Amino acid sequence: MLLEINNVCKTYRGGVKANDNVSLSIAKGEVFGLLGPNGAGKTTLINQIIGLAMPNSGSITINGVDVVANPGYARQACSFLSQTQAPITGLTTFQAIDLVGRIRGGKKADVHRRAMELIEKLEMGEWQKTMGLTISGGVRRLVAFCMAAVTPGEIVILDEPTNDIDPLRRRALWQEVQELARQGSAVLLVTHNVLEAERVVDRLAIIDEGKVRGMGTLASLKEDEGDAMRLELTLEPGKAAPALPDYLQQPVIINRRIVGRVSPADIPTAIDWARGLKGDGTIEEFSLGPATLEDIYIRLVKNPDEAEPSGEVM
Amino acid sequence: MPKWLRGYLLMVKWVFLTYRSWLSLNLAIQLGIAVGFIYGISFFFPAITPEIAKYLTTGAPTLILLIVGLVMVPQIIAMARTEGTFDYIWSLPVGRMSHLAADATVMFGSTLPGIILAVALGSFHFDFSLSISPLVIPSVILMAMCGTFIGYSIAFLLPKPMMVNVITQIMSFAVMLFSPVMFPAERLPGWLQAIHTVLPIQYMADISRGTLTDLDVNLGLAFIVTGAWCVAGFIVTLVVVHRRR
Repeated sequence: MLLEINNVCKTYRGGVKANDNVSLSIAKGEVFGLLGPNGAGKTTLINQIIGLAMPNSGSITINGVDVVANPGYARQACSFLSQTQAPITGLTTFQAIDLVGRIRGGKKADVHRRAMELIEKLEMGEWQKTMGLTISGGVRRLVAFCMAAVTPGEIVILDEPTNDIDPLRRRALWQEVQELARQGSAVLLVTHNVLEAERVVDRLAIIDEGKVRGMGTLASLKEDEGDAMRLELTLEPGKAAPALPDYLQQPVIINRRIVGRVSPADIPTAIDWARGLKGDGTIEEFSLGPATLEDIYIRLVKNPDEAEPSGEVM
Repeated sequence: MPKWLRGYLLMVKWVFLTYRSWLSLNLAIQLGIAVGFIYGISFFFPAITPEIAKYLTTGAPTLILLIVGLVMVPQIIAMARTEGTFDYIWSLPVGRMSHLAADATVMFGSTLPGIILAVALGSFHFDFSLSISPLVIPSVILMAMCGTFIGYSIAFLLPKPMMVNVITQIMSFAVMLFSPVMFPAERLPGWLQAIHTVLPIQYMADISRGTLTDLDVNLGLAFIVTGAWCVAGFIVTLVVVHRRR
């Protein structure tokens, strides 16, 4: 494996435990998603990989090199899109991308060509000569992505890459992420956007309260859901949630949405119940389908005590 | 080209582009201060002699470099810390000290014209002659590095970036009014004189006078003390910028 993280623990001064025995590994050419809610410990883990933070225990290696002891190796091996905005206030979009590409060791002509290619693919031409100070947050995020992708490291770390970006450019960005993996980089994608992650990752880990709650391919994680189907109800605005039947397993209510699992034997009953709710105006609509990554995520994050390591041995 | 030099030069470009609008303003302010300083002396001392003018004018480089190193550098670093700039810059494959060296180079470059103008204008306006030693270039670099490394140490050691503004305001007040740069140390109370025998400020002023004029100063001692503070500042900076959370 290109990146190996073994039993990493990190507790900040003040006692906040950010990572609790985290282990995972990422291979070359793989898009690996690190999913979890805010404050789950994702960014702390990234900071330890690139040498901004130091684990209390455990090991992190890239190509077998101990990067806790040798953070310079990690900075060369990893290109990084930080969660905070990149400091490009006085630079134009092109200058920022070009400079980072060259700082990362790219040759002038190659970096120039690649920078223009990224600007074109992400439809950023109108901002090519615009100063960082005057562009919107979403465009700054795109620039920061290009800065990570222009001379990509063996590992490309993207911390919430699509925040503030419009849907069309998001799609182009995800294509570029997959292209980076095809070119041989390992992409470590940190996000809490489960729906987007589902479309691009090869494998993923769900992390919460510093612990890995589940890890594997999407298929292996879905297997853990068994034969149960996903029932989702959307309440009419202003309506209270109805009493939930016992056969609706692990129900979660988020705003107007009620999501739960229904075993195959209970599906006809559940459909009748949902139709009844729609008929009496309690719900706007309902849907029944196979489990999604969001279901797995919600189950593992909301019910950590039930979470078992899944997919792979951790 | 060695990797460290390439990284340093690219970081100089990055820092220059990042601060370019601020740098032109800083350059204009530094030049304005230089002119204002020379003409302002005449208001403080209406019957100023060329000898007194020489003493005051040659204190200007020290004062300017200390204000840049101890006030402006820490404030810029504090702002960058607040914005999370270092989390990004320090993830790049460039040595952290190379980045700071690039920062200091650009800062110093925008300050140098003001220093040269102050000294040249003072010499012309008050009609005194300069006696410029070949040591003047390494001396100015040493003084700039000394002030800057101390500034970096303060900026990174203080736990909260907001504290930097308060501390630097106090320091600028102390440097301007209670440090023997524009007047001899003998005019200070004994306890303050004692403090200044270990601080680098009066020695930096001595270096300035000893390399720009024929004024009699103990240049050897001045280089030793300023050099020692520079090394200490470098070591502290080296340690604090390589700390990991």
